[in-house]
Amino acid sequence: MIGLNLRDQFPILQRKVNGYPLVYLDNAATTQKPQVVLDAMNDYYSKSNANVHRAVHTLAGEATEGYESCRAKLKQRFNASKVIITSGTTEAINLVAHAWGRANLNKGDAVVLTEMEHHSDIVPWQMLAEERGVELRYVPVTPHFTLDMDAFEHALEGAALVCVVHTSNVLGVRNPLEDIIRLSHQAGAKVLIDAAQGVPHATIDFEAFGADFMAFSAHKMCGPTGIGALLVESSTFETMQPFMGGGDMIETVTTEGSTYQTNEHKFEAGTPRIAEAIGWTAALEWMESFDLDAEHDRLIAIASWVAQSLRDLGMQVYGRHEADDAAVVSFLHPTINSEDIAHLLDARGFAVRTGHHCAQPLLTRLGISGTVRASFYVYNTREEAEGFVAEIGEIVEKFA
Amino acid sequence: MTYPEALQELVEEFQAVDDKRERLEMLFELADEVIELPADNWSEHTRVRGCQSEAHVSVVLDDGRIQFLSAADARMVQGLMGILTIALDGLTPAQAVLISPAFAEEMGLLNTLTPSRSNGFRNMYDKVMNEIRQSMEG
Repeated sequence: MIGLNLRDQFPILQRKVNGYPLVYLDNAATTQKPQVVLDAMNDYYSKSNANVHRAVHTLAGEATEGYESCRAKLKQRFNASKVIITSGTTEAINLVAHAWGRANLNKGDAVVLTEMEHHSDIVPWQMLAEERGVELRYVPVTPHFTLDMDAFEHALEGAALVCVVHTSNVLGVRNPLEDIIRLSHQAGAKVLIDAAQGVPHATIDFEAFGADFMAFSAHKMCGPTGIGALLVESSTFETMQPFMGGGDMIETVTTEGSTYQTNEHKFEAGTPRIAEAIGWTAALEWMESFDLDAEHDRLIAIASWVAQSLRDLGMQVYGRHEADDAAVVSFLHPTINSEDIAHLLDARGFAVRTGHHCAQPLLTRLGISGTVRASFYVYNTREEAEGFVAEIGEIVEKFA
Repeated sequence: MTYPEALQELVEEFQAVDDKRERLEMLFELADEVIELPADNWSEHTRVRGCQSEAHVSVVLDDGRIQFLSAADARMVQGLMGILTIALDGLTPAQAVLISPAFAEEMGLLNTLTPSRSNGFRNMYDKVMNEIRQSMEG
């Protein structure tokens, strides 16, 4: 029901695409923004625009307060003591590779990755491996779309870091993170969680969770693009060295050298994303206006029904759609090309994603080169899902 | 923009149809116009890069006239190849290089065709035109 009530708050959902009402099912790529987020960013630029952390004038104070209120909100929501604001999940993971990895990993150290990772959690480590001679170990994905946990335990031996995706952007599968974190720590490895697809669907207590790093983006949870965060466990934070140099991250600069801030600003060189931080705060506050757990239950029920309906129409569906998984349905038809399906859907107003979803190792393991992906979020309704399935049915009937 | 007569007729036919789904279905039918490049002849040289689907093109000159051979796994790409086949077949290279890729946009088939965008159709068009230009230089 809440999907219906929430819809009015999203101006973009009122528009038509190719003459049909927009049915936006590309939420795993990015979510739409409620009016409160648009208003907060517009208000900032209209009334308080200034740079942060330096000047004493009123506007600078308001801008600083707005920017830092985002950090405070993130600390409160995720129960984290160190929150570095980044441009998104990708920069957050690159930050770990540079600021922690280059300070703590050397030739012969091992980093455990999984075949389920987004390219953003593979490429930075490949770059580090090439530079430092670090060994990369990949945990395979089973035919049941889960991580091979026996292989994971084997890969842990002597590992320094484990990088694992919270929830697959292709499969919607949520990994057994509690086990992964416990086993990794028992083996003496730090743990980085790519939670880009996790935080939009579940409220996570970072301290209780026990991971050492957690990266995510605002735009997948109704916030603006261009901003995200890296949560870092306190003692691990102390072992990180600066990544980018420049304004805001320094304490003093002389021609002989520089000293650095000791708090999160040490990793936020340059003028930060002020309007985006203010927009994200508005999004985080807005997400408190409804029961996210109840919404998740509603959405996974929709996704599970869509998955079964698509199977009934002859589609191969990739994923399992269990209670903790995200409402993501990846599928292929045996004879109709996925790009053709996406174009035909777009002609009727349905926005879906096709391609490799920046997870080529996973698709290689599955023996495919891409899927059609429909991903649902809080403003999507059961009626939209039914319309989507009916449209797919028409496409199959006409083009198979 | 004006095009060779056969292509101009197609552009006008597509422009007369309001519904995008109908235009796509018309495009799918044009896949039948493709002169098939057999899979045995596919190579890195024929592959269109940046295309989400598998796509291959080849231009051969027969008595100074273009023959355009192509293959793809997506029906939509096959349809675009069919249009290029209609547009190019039998032209001289000098006539062919005057054709702008804007026809796909004007036909309401693709949203934008900026050169900087990773766009399979644009890559295909550029590859075909480069081969035609090379044939002129050769």
